[in-house]
Amino acid sequence: MSTDVMIYASGLTKRYGSFRALDDVSFEVRRGEIVGFLGPNGAGKSTTMRILTCFIAPTSGTAKVRGQDVFDDTLAVRSSLGYLPQRAPLYLEMTVFEYLRFSARVRNLDESTFKKRARAVVEICGLAQSLSKEIRQLSHGYRQRVGLAQALIHDPPILILDEPTSDLDPNERTEFLNYLKQIGKDRTVLLSTHNLKEVEAACARAIIVSRGRVVADGPLDEIRAKSGRVRYVVSIQESVGDTPYRGKGTPPRQTEVEHALNSLAGVKKVNELPTDERAHAYELAGEDATDLRPEIFRLIADKGWVLLELHRDTQTLEDVFRQLTIGDERRNRQLGPVKDDDRRARDEEEDEDDEDEDEDESDDDEDSDSDDSDSDDDGKRNKR
Amino acid sequence: MSSESTIEKATKEKSRAAEEAEERDEDEEEEEERDSDSGSGDSDDGDDGDDDGASSDAATKPMSMIDASPKEKAALDRPSSLAMTWTITRRELAAYFNSVITYIVISASMVGLGLFFYMYKGGFWQVDRVTMQRMFDFLPFALCFLVIPLFTMRALSDEKRVGTIELLITMPVKDSEVILGKYFAALAIVTVQLGLVVLYPIAMFKWPWHLGELDWGAFWVGMSGLFFLSATGTAVGLMYSSFTESQILSFFATMLTLTGIYALGTLSAVESLQGWPGDAISFISLQSRFEPFARGLLDSRAIVYFVSIAVLCLVVAFHALERRKWS
Repeated sequence: MSTDVMIYASGLTKRYGSFRALDDVSFEVRRGEIVGFLGPNGAGKSTTMRILTCFIAPTSGTAKVRGQDVFDDTLAVRSSLGYLPQRAPLYLEMTVFEYLRFSARVRNLDESTFKKRARAVVEICGLAQSLSKEIRQLSHGYRQRVGLAQALIHDPPILILDEPTSDLDPNERTEFLNYLKQIGKDRTVLLSTHNLKEVEAACARAIIVSRGRVVADGPLDEIRAKSGRVRYVVSIQESVGDTPYRGKGTPPRQTEVEHALNSLAGVKKVNELPTDERAHAYELAGEDATDLRPEIFRLIADKGWVLLELHRDTQTLEDVFRQLTIGDERRNRQLGPVKDDDRRARDEEEDEDDEDEDEDESDDDEDSDSDDSDSDDDGKRNKR
Repeated sequence: MSSESTIEKATKEKSRAAEEAEERDEDEEEEEERDSDSGSGDSDDGDDGDDDGASSDAATKPMSMIDASPKEKAALDRPSSLAMTWTITRRELAAYFNSVITYIVISASMVGLGLFFYMYKGGFWQVDRVTMQRMFDFLPFALCFLVIPLFTMRALSDEKRVGTIELLITMPVKDSEVILGKYFAALAIVTVQLGLVVLYPIAMFKWPWHLGELDWGAFWVGMSGLFFLSATGTAVGLMYSSFTESQILSFFATMLTLTGIYALGTLSAVESLQGWPGDAISFISLQSRFEPFARGLLDSRAIVYFVSIAVLCLVVAFHALERRKWS
């Protein structure tokens, strides 16, 4: 079983001066897993990946790839990896074909194997039309494809991809993720991204890092349930309007409904959601353990109200992500205190140099990504 | 001196010819080299063949590939150091020939040499002897001042700035192979420049003109001196290039260092120094080391000096590259 562990990281810590880019990061990735590596900018995703690919050494801790130490057996580790760094830094003066041939040579593929593999990766990455173009002429999306192609050229058992889809358009993303799922069956893929939908589409498991620490690691369902909160949405008919009122007596008043819902066992909080005049809609926060839907239904039926809608959400991955990493964002925007006190005490000393140097350059580009997910979230945030 | 130089002439001509042949290979015969290369790579470790077979199978049944490739093989699945260095050198050379700077530098220094040789202070005609001495006055300065700094400035700086170094280093490449590959490529380009310079005496004394009988032995010794000087200078340039992300910084540092330690020997103030300070300076100075070569003397102590400085700088560059792991 232990041979199945393809990537093993234990207690990885990386310090830049007094700033801790990584703080005791431990995880394992097994064969056949596609793991999403999530976290806000500067959380330490790239640093972890750079350690795994032997580009930098950890300050302390050990990492092994296929049982080989990233520090002692770097060549063995590197030859079993396919790595795509952030922003796909390629030699701009080379043509796509030259680049692929160069990486094939470094990977010790002979000419015939290279041709076979090149045909495969060119098809996968959709590079057939651009093979003879210089990389500098290509758009960022295409450069990223070339980066992927070079990571796949030697058919590596382990793929480490640092934001492989950040410059791809939606069609390309879907295509790429499908391909990843297909090859991921007997390979190991560690994939960092900001896009939570991608993780949900391609990965069965996610590792969430925040400020250099692993804050969640497990199957997506488990992570979703991690916060232990479940949301119920209830809406109840209020006014007659065009349609006849089908309940007993007169429609209930808002306070009445709110009070009744609040008194249900297991309900932690009731929020009214914005609705039109015909209905009351409420959001209920409940405990995860028990399903409150029967209780809610019973209550409403007993009162003789008219139930228009009742459904139960577990939290989305985005909610969990935000909840787990909110401290980062607040800190970056220099907002007030974060709830987690001991962390904060430590950060105050380190606040000055909390920008990870390595991530700095890419921040601009990534902002747009994270903004996207922000705006996705806005709706939900408003409701709360 | 004449007997000395005839012996040296023979050996030097041979090595010179070998160098030139290398250059030609690099320029024109990439195809052949590649074939022989991959051949040698395979013969180096027999496992390669097996591995390649396995990975080509992998296209059809990828599962079996993973099962069938134990750790030991993964460790061996890389070209020999020589082949790897050559792969990197070739990529670098392609980059050089793809860059406008290369052509500008080469043609500008050819023109510069021509102007200096024929025009400056009456030029070659004023000397009234069959000698290429003036060329050996000019070229070391040109090499130190512009040619070498311009050719080495982007070697590592640019890779660091753009980030391509990350992709290169995370391939199964040793840091030393990266340094050596880049060093040989830069040196090859400087050697191309030196090779082109040889066109001058050939045109003047062999064909189409016959201005006299040149002492070719002494000339080739001088050229070999320039080659060793370039070998050192290139290593210095590569070292500075490994320190910084800025090409400009790397350029000026190389230029100042090389010109500085070259010019040190030519200062008249230094020449008048007696005792150990003067000795120390002439020990350090590139100029005093190069001098015998210009006069047609093959100075083995100078060769040791040039080579050891080059090795030292390459080792420093190697460590500068490794430092990324810790900083």
